[in-house]
Amino acid sequence: MALQKKICMLGAFAVGKTSLVRRYVDSIFSDRYLTTVGVKIDKRMVTVGTAEVSLILWDIAGEDDISQVRASYVRGAAGYLLVADGTRPATIDVAQSIQQRVEAEVGKLPFIVLLNKRDLQSLWSVSGQDIVALERAGWTVRMTSAHSGEGVEQAFQTLAERVTSHP
Amino acid sequence: MTPAPAIPPEIAEYLHGLVLGERPIAWLAIDSAQTLVAAGGALTEHGLDAVHGGCPVPEQLGFLEGLLPLAESPFRLQHVQTADGRAADLHLFVAGDRVWVVLIDSATERDAAQRVQQKAYDMTLLSEREARLITELEAANLELKQTYEALEESNQRLARELEEAANYVRSILPPPVAGRTLTADWLFIPSTELGGDSFGYHWIDSEHLALYVLDVSGHGVGAALLSAAVANALRAEALPNTDFRAPAEVLGALNQIYLMEQHNNLFFTIWYGVFHKRTRLLAYASAGHPPALLVPDGARSAAEIKPLRATEPVLGALAGIKFVQHEWTVPRGSRLFLITDGAFEIVKADGSMLELDEFVELLVESAPSRKAEPSGKAEPRGKAEPSGKAELDRLVGVLRSLHGPGPFDDDLSIIRFEL
Repeated sequence: MALQKKICMLGAFAVGKTSLVRRYVDSIFSDRYLTTVGVKIDKRMVTVGTAEVSLILWDIAGEDDISQVRASYVRGAAGYLLVADGTRPATIDVAQSIQQRVEAEVGKLPFIVLLNKRDLQSLWSVSGQDIVALERAGWTVRMTSAHSGEGVEQAFQTLAERVTSHP
Repeated sequence: MTPAPAIPPEIAEYLHGLVLGERPIAWLAIDSAQTLVAAGGALTEHGLDAVHGGCPVPEQLGFLEGLLPLAESPFRLQHVQTADGRAADLHLFVAGDRVWVVLIDSATERDAAQRVQQKAYDMTLLSEREARLITELEAANLELKQTYEALEESNQRLARELEEAANYVRSILPPPVAGRTLTADWLFIPSTELGGDSFGYHWIDSEHLALYVLDVSGHGVGAALLSAAVANALRAEALPNTDFRAPAEVLGALNQIYLMEQHNNLFFTIWYGVFHKRTRLLAYASAGHPPALLVPDGARSAAEIKPLRATEPVLGALAGIKFVQHEWTVPRGSRLFLITDGAFEIVKADGSMLELDEFVELLVESAPSRKAEPSGKAEPRGKAEPSGKAELDRLVGVLRSLHGPGPFDDDLSIIRFEL
């Protein structure tokens, strides 16, 4: 049996978590924004080294001012992708808050920060200095575009490698 | 009455049927080795047809990855959705030596919650976008304001510089004089801060008086610079090998120096005359300029006014032009007016243009009722006989009333001599 790993998609609402999964699993993108309620579970096989790994992707409803991400959804995860919207700097603050709560609840897990919507150049609001500040905090930051697919495959692959090697 | 059970069996049965009918339920039983030992209920509705008893759970049910063994019991997850669009509330609990997994269909509730949430998020995103646009608009406004202030500052600096230039242009004009042998007064009204008109008069020697007026094409700094340069050259008699008592020679020399291709394509018209005091002979030449107007003493009609004209073209346009000198004897007590075209090419209120002939008529109408006597030695305007200035003021008053409000369309210069 292939190795199986649960990966959670976390972040504020409308940052593109579902679109990233759609791009990664089905290679498709839709401009229409459809909010996620609860959690959407999907799956994709990847190769890490010589091993076949089945990634069970938990696309968890985004966090807003009223409802926080429930840590119970993260239980049993091997790692997570923390998604923020590069055109909405406030979503980085939300990502930081979620990361702290998840770590408090389930302990340290491998994670990667994705600054999504890289294709929206004219609206992009995150500076190089902002990214350096996140990296100084020890975070791995990648820029992605679910629209064009830029950086998506690599981000999931990197996390797959980390969770596979993580004890 | 004996106490009834909390929920009568009939009601329990009704509710059981209602819930099962509206929200199909499937269940799974898992042993401590995480092997599926039993399954039942609405497995098809939940896409669990293919589950096999006796097989490890993680292989068959990916959504349970990481959840077993249960860390807490009961454990509940709302709206767990699969790729095919199914949604269920997931309940896990331990009973005996088994973990029970119950899936209760939540598609209807999920759809309702999604509609509400979608609306709320769309509104939030819209207001975020609006706030962002307002911020960008404010930043753009600030930038516009700063640009406007910089432009305003630049304009003020430019206005100061233009004013200085205009002051200089005025400073090289000769002062009005009122003397025994010469009385001169003038009006100079540029259409913009800087015009292309200039003029002058000075004694070349004790016998010869130079009188000139010129008009450079266009307005503004370029025209004013050329105009001042030519006026200075005439005033300082700074044309090489030129007899300033010979008007045609003077214009020829100017034409050689100020060819338009060497002066930013600017050309000019000029009327230059020399009055010989003893013989009262006025020699003159002109390059494309309106004629000077000689008004004999006592003239009462336009027909008595002598236009001193020449037919040579504008100065600076063509090299090698031979200018012709004309002469006219000036009757004692005459008034001579040098003008630029701005003095008569005035658009009247009805849209038509004033003609030179009409201007000549106005000269007659504006003439003083009694000729002013020459008052002796040359003096500045403040102490000069006022009749010359009064005549010019009357004249320009009529021109203004013909033109209507607002600045004149062209530079306007009128120089009045009593000879």
